[in-house]
Amino acid sequence: MAKAFHLTIARIGENVFDDEAVSLTLPGSEGMMTVLADHEPFISELAVGEARFEAADGKHYHIPVREGGVIEISHNQATVLL
Amino acid sequence: MALKDIKSKIQATQRTHKVTKAMEAVSAVKMRKTQQAALAGRPYARAALSILARLSGSVHLSEHPLAEERNVKRAALVIITSDKGLAGSVNSGVIKAAVEALAESLPREEVTVYAFGKKGEEYFARRGYRVAEAFENKRDDVPRSVVKRFTKDLTEAFAAGEYDEVLVAYSRFRSTFEQVPTVHRLLPLSLESVTQLVQDIVPQKGKWSELRAPASPMEYLVEGAYEDVLDAVIPRLVSASLYHLLLESKASEHSARMVAMKNASDKSKEVTQDLTRKYNKARQAAITREVSEIVGGREALAT
Repeated sequence: MAKAFHLTIARIGENVFDDEAVSLTLPGSEGMMTVLADHEPFISELAVGEARFEAADGKHYHIPVREGGVIEISHNQATVLL
Repeated sequence: MALKDIKSKIQATQRTHKVTKAMEAVSAVKMRKTQQAALAGRPYARAALSILARLSGSVHLSEHPLAEERNVKRAALVIITSDKGLAGSVNSGVIKAAVEALAESLPREEVTVYAFGKKGEEYFARRGYRVAEAFENKRDDVPRSVVKRFTKDLTEAFAAGEYDEVLVAYSRFRSTFEQVPTVHRLLPLSLESVTQLVQDIVPQKGKWSELRAPASPMEYLVEGAYEDVLDAVIPRLVSASLYHLLLESKASEHSARMVAMKNASDKSKEVTQDLTRKYNKARQAAITREVSEIVGGREALAT
């Protein structure tokens, strides 16, 4: 099984997801990108679109990104603010 | 006082007791709910803060239009109060704190008031302040759409130079028995003030319980420009702060109301007891009088 990383997705006043994930695909400001474990430190703005990710338990999630957002990755930990 | 009067008074007091007791229970439930909501909002604020803290190593935060320190000539005041009263001194405390903070720096013509909640609006409108917008604060949750739009208005006005400072007067929730009226400076944004705010959020168990040190700023790979990322993070942080302040005010309101209603219930119980004693005394006095009248009458007939 692929290596996992910690993923936190939060909206104001609401925690959407906060657990281990295997892969994360996002609409970055310069096109879609996929994040796997041990990504190097990275920050980007998000464009409007849809975020998809696979949790460590194999479940797939789709979350709409309606108003853009920010992704930050460091220490094998990804944080997405919507 | 006639017997009947006392009796009706006892009944009235008991009815009041029932009402205050019910309000106390309702406020207790609402308080717990708002506290939970405040906790749920914490990871967001934390994450936004740590992103900002790490970015601050690479770019100068103070160069961002929303973090720019200017000489304060015009200010906006966001006053967060409740719509309803019967909540002890919460609202008056907040209003007092706001007025004190303003009086130090600015004449009232230069202050624009945004009011969440009727109490604050009424106060400032009556005293000739310019109330730009008033929001209802009746609901138990804080509508996110309102917060978002309001943040946008505020940040745009600040960036355009309409205000040099945005203050928020709210009631900080320390515990059920202690709420502190506080004035927080929302804009210009500074890392310290936001850190303070995030730390104040009640600790939660688990991952976010210890303040994850906004670790040493390190090199990041950035897609696009740093400025673009800042532009995305800062308004979100402002919005999250505002959301949190609103929630905290709500928690304060409910807990203050709960305590006020508890006191009222206790008092009404006491009054009922006093009145009951009075009632018994009056009844006994009436019986004694009647007996002595009968005895007296009988004796008068016998002689």
